Amino acid sequence: MIRDRKKEALVAFILILPFLSIYSLIFVYPTIDMFLLSFTDAPLIGKGEWVGLENYTRLPNDRRFDTAFWNTAYFVLLSVIPGTFVALAIALGISRLQGRLQAIVLALFFLPYILPVSVVYRLWDWTLNFQFGIAMHLFDLMGIDRVPIFKVTGWFMPAVAMVTVWWTSGFSILLFLAGLRSIPNEIYEAASLDNTNRWTLFRRITWPLLWPVTALVLTIQLILQLKIFDQVYLFSVGGRPNDNLVMVYYIYQRAFVSNDGGRAAAIAIVLFIIVIIVSVLNFQLMRFAEKRS
Amino acid sequence: MNKYVAIAFAGLMASAVQAEETVVWWDFLGGGDGVRMKQLISDFNEANAGEVKIDATTLEWGVPFYTKVQTSVAVGEAPDVMTYHASRIPLALEQGVLDEITPEDWAAMGFGQDDFAAQIWDGVTGPDGKIYGVPLDTHPIVLYYNKDILGAAGQLNADGTPVGMGSREEFTAMLQAIADSGKVKFPLGSVTADGNFMFRTIYSLVGQQDGELLTDGDFLVGDNAAKLENALAVLQEWTTAGLQSTYTDYPATVALFTSGEAAMMINGVWEVPTMTDLHAQGKLFEWGAVELPVIFDHPATYSDSHVFAIPAGSAEDPAKRAAVLKVISGILKESLFWATAGHIPAYKAVTDSAEYKAMEPNATYSSLTANMIYDPKTPLAGVAGPIFDVMSTYFVPALNGELDPAEAVASITEDLNDM
Repeated sequence: MIRDRKKEALVAFILILPFLSIYSLIFVYPTIDMFLLSFTDAPLIGKGEWVGLENYTRLPNDRRFDTAFWNTAYFVLLSVIPGTFVALAIALGISRLQGRLQAIVLALFFLPYILPVSVVYRLWDWTLNFQFGIAMHLFDLMGIDRVPIFKVTGWFMPAVAMVTVWWTSGFSILLFLAGLRSIPNEIYEAASLDNTNRWTLFRRITWPLLWPVTALVLTIQLILQLKIFDQVYLFSVGGRPNDNLVMVYYIYQRAFVSNDGGRAAAIAIVLFIIVIIVSVLNFQLMRFAEKRS
Repeated sequence: MNKYVAIAFAGLMASAVQAEETVVWWDFLGGGDGVRMKQLISDFNEANAGEVKIDATTLEWGVPFYTKVQTSVAVGEAPDVMTYHASRIPLALEQGVLDEITPEDWAAMGFGQDDFAAQIWDGVTGPDGKIYGVPLDTHPIVLYYNKDILGAAGQLNADGTPVGMGSREEFTAMLQAIADSGKVKFPLGSVTADGNFMFRTIYSLVGQQDGELLTDGDFLVGDNAAKLENALAVLQEWTTAGLQSTYTDYPATVALFTSGEAAMMINGVWEVPTMTDLHAQGKLFEWGAVELPVIFDHPATYSDSHVFAIPAGSAEDPAKRAAVLKVISGILKESLFWATAGHIPAYKAVTDSAEYKAMEPNATYSSLTANMIYDPKTPLAGVAGPIFDVMSTYFVPALNGELDPAEAVASITEDLNDM
């Protein structure tokens, strides 16, 4: 049969046109527009004057940007790796359970994930509130001094990271469980015929075969946590916001509190580039690790 | 046949003339005062049925409200009238979201400059001398106190007001006496976990020393820094002496006071309805509210005003404009009821009335209108503005004894000046 390549291309183009136009309208165009915005002194709404690279060159000397940058890095460190390993440990535990019990335990661990962030904030505020929190009464019983967890800089990020791990690990657990189920049972049977102990089973079979899932979870977590905002915002409202700044929080402050659209766009572009670099690096590292094993 | 068409046409015309004008209204009044505003709105709608109807929506207070206003004005979807904070007017003018209230508008409403206190009028005046809002009220902070506990500790005057209101020494001695009576966890409940809120108290104390935040575009010039340091130092002293609650957020502060665990509380007048309602249900002790104590040289209290503002470009049609002005003047004239929400009405005819003068606790604290100070006029100030975040960051550790007041002031000055 003779194929009319030109016509096929035309049909293909017409078929993808709806997607292409919507994608361009709601993603490509705003992205380009934001990029241009970052070179102006525009307010949140409306046009501004072209100021060249000024919004970028002032960032290295901007103390709030500095705080936001390092806090974000610290938060990623505190949440991504611990979060992944906690989820893996829980998934390994759940996979040893059977039938209905397994379903119930899995549901219990998954439950926090379905909560909206405002509910998560309320729950933990009730628990850790300095004057009325439930945990503080426990502290009193045990004779420990009360700690104003969300009002002290040293405690803030670890506490928010802990809450985030508690909140989001449900999804990672599901991914890990799916990964664990896809490892054929025959391999474990063969290994047990050789009298392999449990640690070796994990190290030689489970870990390497689960690696693609682990890499996926790490990547998802990494990108998600670089964009942290909600929890940090909710827990620091009224407290010490400028000590607890993270990148997206600073973008929000610049754009919505200070009415500096241009400067906010510049920070957003920097975050965008950081996310790209980190995810590419992460992906390459994962591939490298995979090849080696 | 033609006759019928003509009649039908005339009928249509008539109904068009009589058509009810709907005024879209946005506010941010979500607390006890919001309930009272809803009452005022429904009363207005009833009284003006068939002519003007208010279609009201209550939105989230603070940055969410002001962001929504800004975006809605930009796309032409703004309401016809909205509540605004006088302290946010400088930023609003920079954003171009407000319409001028013209002399003709004032004439239509039947109000003028003489109907409002000088500080309140100044709060709605732009740098160009034009007026951008109609003041509804002024809402300062006051000192709430528990008469039962203060009475038992011998700290009440014959007229039922607290004794130690004249100086720093007197007030501290009163706190100490309440602490010694052993009845409460804290003599004074303060919102020490929320620096945004404490800005009001601290700025009042700075005002009591004639200090100012902004002088010709620079922050904390000259001895103003020392005055801020004094204000932080006295509050820190109360904390370290165990006289003031530590790391207490807003709801916890109200709870400490209403449960009797704190004998006094510095809070906004908008908590008056909370106390009135609880007391009416028999769930609250005898209580009172007075003007802040004089800790430094002379009385001064931070205040802000709720004002009615017209978003730029929204009520340009004359009929709509007239309806909006009717709404504003209607609510203002009924603002005696608004006073039950704790706020001090801005309209003098109301505050001069015998009914208002008999209203408690408003009458006791309304003396403070002579000593009110407002936010500095800059786009950086105002409720939930950028100054708030800077202040809050250093106030919280300073108030709770973690950070030396001098260090806090140094950091605040540095941060404010590089905004």
